[in-house]
Amino acid sequence: MNSASAGCGRSSPIGRWSLVAGGWLLVVLAARSSGAAELAGRVVDPKGAPVSEAVVFVDQLPAGAVAAAGGRTAVMDQVNKEFVPHVLPVAVGTEVSFPNHDQIHHHVYSLSRTKTFEIPLYKGEAAAPVRFERVGAVKVGCNIHDWMAGVILVVPTPYFAATDADGAFTLRDVPPGTYGIVAWHEGAKTPVDGTRQTVTVGDAAAPPLTFTLDVAERKARQPARRSYE
Amino acid sequence: MSVWWARRRLRTRIFLPFSALILAILLATLWVIGTAVNRWVEISLKRQFDATGNVFRALMAERAERLIGETSLLAGDFALKRAIATYDPDTLSSVAVNHRERIGVELLWITDEKGRFLAGAGGQGGRRGPLTDLVPLQQAIGTDAPAVAVTEVDGGLVQLVAVPVFGPDPIGYLLAGAAIDDVTARQLQADTGPAVSFLTAPRLFASSWPASEREQLFPGGAVEAPLRAHLARAGGTPEPERSTFLLELRGDRLLSILIPVEAQLPEPLFALVQESYDRALGPLAALRRWVGVIGAAALLGALLVGGMIANGIAAPVQVLVGAMRRVLTGDFRQRLSLRREDEIGFLARSFNEMVAGLQEREHIKETFGRFVSRDVAAAVLSGQMPLDGERREVTILFQDVRDFTTLAERTDPRILVRVVNRLFTEMVAAVEAQGGIIRVFTGDGVMALFGAPVAHPDHPARAVRAGLDMLARLPALNAHVQQEQVPALRIGVGVATGEVIVGRMGPDQRSEYNVVGDAANLASRIEGLNKELGTSILIAAATAACLGSEFALGRHAVLHVKGKDRPVEVVEVVGVTPHARRVG
Repeated sequence: MNSASAGCGRSSPIGRWSLVAGGWLLVVLAARSSGAAELAGRVVDPKGAPVSEAVVFVDQLPAGAVAAAGGRTAVMDQVNKEFVPHVLPVAVGTEVSFPNHDQIHHHVYSLSRTKTFEIPLYKGEAAAPVRFERVGAVKVGCNIHDWMAGVILVVPTPYFAATDADGAFTLRDVPPGTYGIVAWHEGAKTPVDGTRQTVTVGDAAAPPLTFTLDVAERKARQPARRSYE
Repeated sequence: MSVWWARRRLRTRIFLPFSALILAILLATLWVIGTAVNRWVEISLKRQFDATGNVFRALMAERAERLIGETSLLAGDFALKRAIATYDPDTLSSVAVNHRERIGVELLWITDEKGRFLAGAGGQGGRRGPLTDLVPLQQAIGTDAPAVAVTEVDGGLVQLVAVPVFGPDPIGYLLAGAAIDDVTARQLQADTGPAVSFLTAPRLFASSWPASEREQLFPGGAVEAPLRAHLARAGGTPEPERSTFLLELRGDRLLSILIPVEAQLPEPLFALVQESYDRALGPLAALRRWVGVIGAAALLGALLVGGMIANGIAAPVQVLVGAMRRVLTGDFRQRLSLRREDEIGFLARSFNEMVAGLQEREHIKETFGRFVSRDVAAAVLSGQMPLDGERREVTILFQDVRDFTTLAERTDPRILVRVVNRLFTEMVAAVEAQGGIIRVFTGDGVMALFGAPVAHPDHPARAVRAGLDMLARLPALNAHVQQEQVPALRIGVGVATGEVIVGRMGPDQRSEYNVVGDAANLASRIEGLNKELGTSILIAAATAACLGSEFALGRHAVLHVKGKDRPVEVVEVVGVTPHARRVG
């Protein structure tokens, strides 16, 4: 992680999000909204190549709307000494469990300013879930496997999606209204606020959204092979 | 050669070039040794400097590796990571002190993920805010990997490493620094030999020199002009061409070299490596002293030997010269007793033989006068003839010129001398032809002796033959004499035989071979009778009795002569009998 991408995780750009932090997130939609819409699009880099593992989410709700609680639990798995998925977007207030599907112990922790937690050495699925109550990026690691790294992106609304290998995303069940939508990536050199697009969801189908992110390549953190192996 | 020292003495001529040669060889040897050792010392010092540079680089690399390794271990400590995540300055300060002790470095600082100072132990000097002016931290933030550099911290030189703390992305950085100070320099000197100082153009950072020397070389920690010039030059020179130079320290010359040290400073950093040139040349001075002592001893020895050799040649030559000088003054008794087989021995033997020859000639001359025939001289020199005095029978001949007194009075003296000399030449020739010797020259005649010192049994016949020869030579002689306007000479000859005493007589220096006896007087008297009897050759009867038939004898007469009691019988010799066969 370089300094350019650090901006989205732990400091000022996140500050604004924290206004909505705290408590269960309840999204109360206007009664008049008769039909929810889907917002689809792609995230690409300046050369037009798809950017996967980006997160696109709504960060500004229409005036008067209130985020509603989402009670479900998200999962960040540990398989073959890696966090799966590597990037896990969750709505603020979500609990995340860290089941260990390896045959060895892991020691999951985060020292991020957004959320500091630690699940000392454990095996299996016994560990208690962790609730994320502040908006921001939480870098998750394993104390005994330095190369293991994952990101839990805590977003302020339930309208978020991660991009697939083609860079495509779909925001589902978005009620009509005007939204501010942003794109985030672990290695993005563009600040999150700089990606904001304002979209109005109405009766007509919204045109596809395109976000362009300048993304630094993710560094391999696997241990190097050495002699005597 | 005519310079003063070589003018007289052979010894000096041999001795001086010899000494000069040895001295020249000695000086040349000293020079060659000096040049070689100087060069060797310079090369070996430079090699030593290179070693110091290499050791320093290795030391820095090893220290960097150790710093990075140990700081990385610290950074991996989960407790440290959690402590950083507290962002509590007091806690982190204590952690910094604690972790600094763990790895034994001079400073340990902790920053956040952006390089902002959180806490530190050692040398922080009340720092706040970002430390990104520190190059290794800058690099570590840029690469997420450890970085190291030599840099200046609070006025001191520090090897500084920056290591990211991953949680799992960088949550902060550890900065660990090991000072490059006097201790480092002294350690380097202890390990490699030369003195080491770390400096940039404006200032000195650290040095292994003791305080007093340091103050001399770097007054007040400043780098002075001459060294600054070298620094400026070294900065632009590629490594292999970098050369040594000399700096003065209290009259001691320091061979110095500047080795660049990679550092993050406004001015290039150098290690100044120095060694006392004069101390390194110490062994040369000792070597020079030894060569000098040995050379001087060799010179002395060579001079002694040379002197002895020169003496061996010159001394006998001196003896020879001395002896020669005395011979020149007439001392023929000089002999050299040099028993040598070389050229000098040959010279000495030749000298002895030569002087012996001269002495013999002188001896004969003194004994017999100038007119001795070769045969007689040879006989005398061969020792056949005793000269010591003996009684023996001899025949004595007297010759005289008639009326010589009258002739002498009437003739020019110079002409007279010429005539007389010519006469004597003929008379001597007649005597010597018969093996006689001239005993004495009278004014106008000769007295000749036959039968001594060389013994001839027929001495009466030889004397008579000589007398006849004298007469025979007269006509030719007179032919010349008359050309001088002088009347023809007439001569008379008297011969007597008898026992006489012969031998060397007279004082040492003037002794002569002399004859004493009646026969001598008798011959003289008989010669005087010629005038009376009108004869040319008269012989005593005793002589005539000894002659064979060779000679034609004339008249006999018995006469009284002066000084004789009894009359003497004399016989005239007329000539040689026609049938007689001449002998001798």
